[in-house]
Amino acid sequence: MSTEIIKPGLLTTLVGCERKGFRNIGIGSGGAMDRVAMRVANYLVGNNDNAAVMELHLPAPEILFKQSYLVSITGKGFEVLVNGVAVPRWRPIRVTKNAAMSFDIKSSGGRGYLSVKGGWRAQDWLGSFSTHLGVQMGGYVGRALRKGDLLEAEEESGGEKDGIKFPWAISENELDRIYFPPNEIRCVKSIETDLLSNESKEIVTSQFFTITHQSNRMGYRLAGEPLYLSQRMDMASSPVDFGTIQLLPDGNLIILMADHQTAGGYPRIGSVIKADLPKLAQLGVNGKVAFKMISLAEAELLLLSMEKQLDEIKSSCLQQISRYSIK
Amino acid sequence: MKKPYTIETLNENAVLVSFGNIINVDVNKRIVALDQQLNVAPFLGFTETVPAYCSLAVFYNPIQVHSENPDYETAFQFVTEYIKIKLTGEEIEEKDSRNKVIEIPVLYDGEDLEFVSGQHQMTREEIIEIHTSSAYHVFMIGFLPGFAYMGSLDERIATSRKSSPRTQVPAGSVGIAGFQTGIYPQSSPGGWQLIGRTPIKIFDKQKSKPCLFKPGDEVRFYSINHNEFNKLHEY
Repeated sequence: MSTEIIKPGLLTTLVGCERKGFRNIGIGSGGAMDRVAMRVANYLVGNNDNAAVMELHLPAPEILFKQSYLVSITGKGFEVLVNGVAVPRWRPIRVTKNAAMSFDIKSSGGRGYLSVKGGWRAQDWLGSFSTHLGVQMGGYVGRALRKGDLLEAEEESGGEKDGIKFPWAISENELDRIYFPPNEIRCVKSIETDLLSNESKEIVTSQFFTITHQSNRMGYRLAGEPLYLSQRMDMASSPVDFGTIQLLPDGNLIILMADHQTAGGYPRIGSVIKADLPKLAQLGVNGKVAFKMISLAEAELLLLSMEKQLDEIKSSCLQQISRYSIK
Repeated sequence: MKKPYTIETLNENAVLVSFGNIINVDVNKRIVALDQQLNVAPFLGFTETVPAYCSLAVFYNPIQVHSENPDYETAFQFVTEYIKIKLTGEEIEEKDSRNKVIEIPVLYDGEDLEFVSGQHQMTREEIIEIHTSSAYHVFMIGFLPGFAYMGSLDERIATSRKSSPRTQVPAGSVGIAGFQTGIYPQSSPGGWQLIGRTPIKIFDKQKSKPCLFKPGDEVRFYSINHNEFNKLHEY
């Protein structure tokens, strides 16, 4: 009994928590692009933060469940269909034996997370289930899912009765704190921010940048009015992070995303705050980005309040799960 | 006298300690020493460090740092002070006895060896002689998992990168670029001039410590022939 990938989708991988402690040998943290959606998908079915979740991009996969499971789908920009009928996102649902799941694109951006109670069975590499595509380790034998792949859940969560309505869900309002307004991406200063020319400092926060087609899980390349440093510099390679905004020699920006390298040689003119990375992850190709600079103290508080919200979601989901004594 | 340093925010979960913007073994040794100190005696909320040529990123969980140190307005302020104290005691701690010399066998039959010897008007043997005659310092690991940037190369054989990178460089290839030398841990696109290949797996993803090198290590290359290469082959 298992779950079969009928159509693989653009880049469907298993992701878990961040891989910690190996950046010093060139292995980044990887993991989900939208860590909020990934974690909430786990909470909704009673999993911990680290359980492996399927990350899917549009065009999305088609999945056949060969047995009944408790699952949930989170994310933005798509509708979920089970046997052709729309089902809600951001809440637990029971899929029955031979249910076929597909996704309908609603907007250009977005990516989704499909969790199953117990988590998808995945390879642990250096403390994380996240797929490392470069080294080909972690997740589903270190690679993206292909047609015909069979996945197993770590727990049985089937039930005879289908169509049970689970009375807990995440409301759009709750999520607005994280995903709204969709284009406003807040940043803090980074190492080379002060080296931008005065004119470029103005431009960076007064125009929309567009996410170009040359964007992937490693980074988003942006198009916009070119930016310049007040003087040319050659940088010795230095550490970077998820959210680091680098200025390329041609004047364009790149925002480093989940699968970024651990160090780089381009000036770091800012950093997207951690609390806005989920929002950024849900902006796809052609998405517009408006940067807003905030203070480090504000960024820390925003991260704190996001984590608090996630903790509340987690504990209320766990309460509900135990009340319904879902095995 | 100690050169000045700066501590700045990379973002809200990391600071960067910089000792200028230069590639120099002594500067890098200070980075490695600070890195060791922080990993031996981390503060609560510390997550990891990333040593680079002349800078060290210190990653932390700002929420944990905050709750442990409520007197500080930001987690950054606490972490900065913590690092400053470590740097004050630097002289006593500065030692690299923990770092080892690693010997790497190389079959010098690289596709670019001809080009490199042509460029410097030397025989292949002379290039090999020079490449194997010094110990190289591992400055940092990056670009690819396990890719160690080593230097400094003897200026007599220093060669610029290829004008057009190869789309696929096989794992184990030994290359040079400018004053640096390195080994490709996985096959990947790359622009370094390839002078040879090692049969040794410098990055073994099946191991819990996958990387043979760490920043601060010393590496020496020695020349082997085809038979020895085949005997040692680990790929």
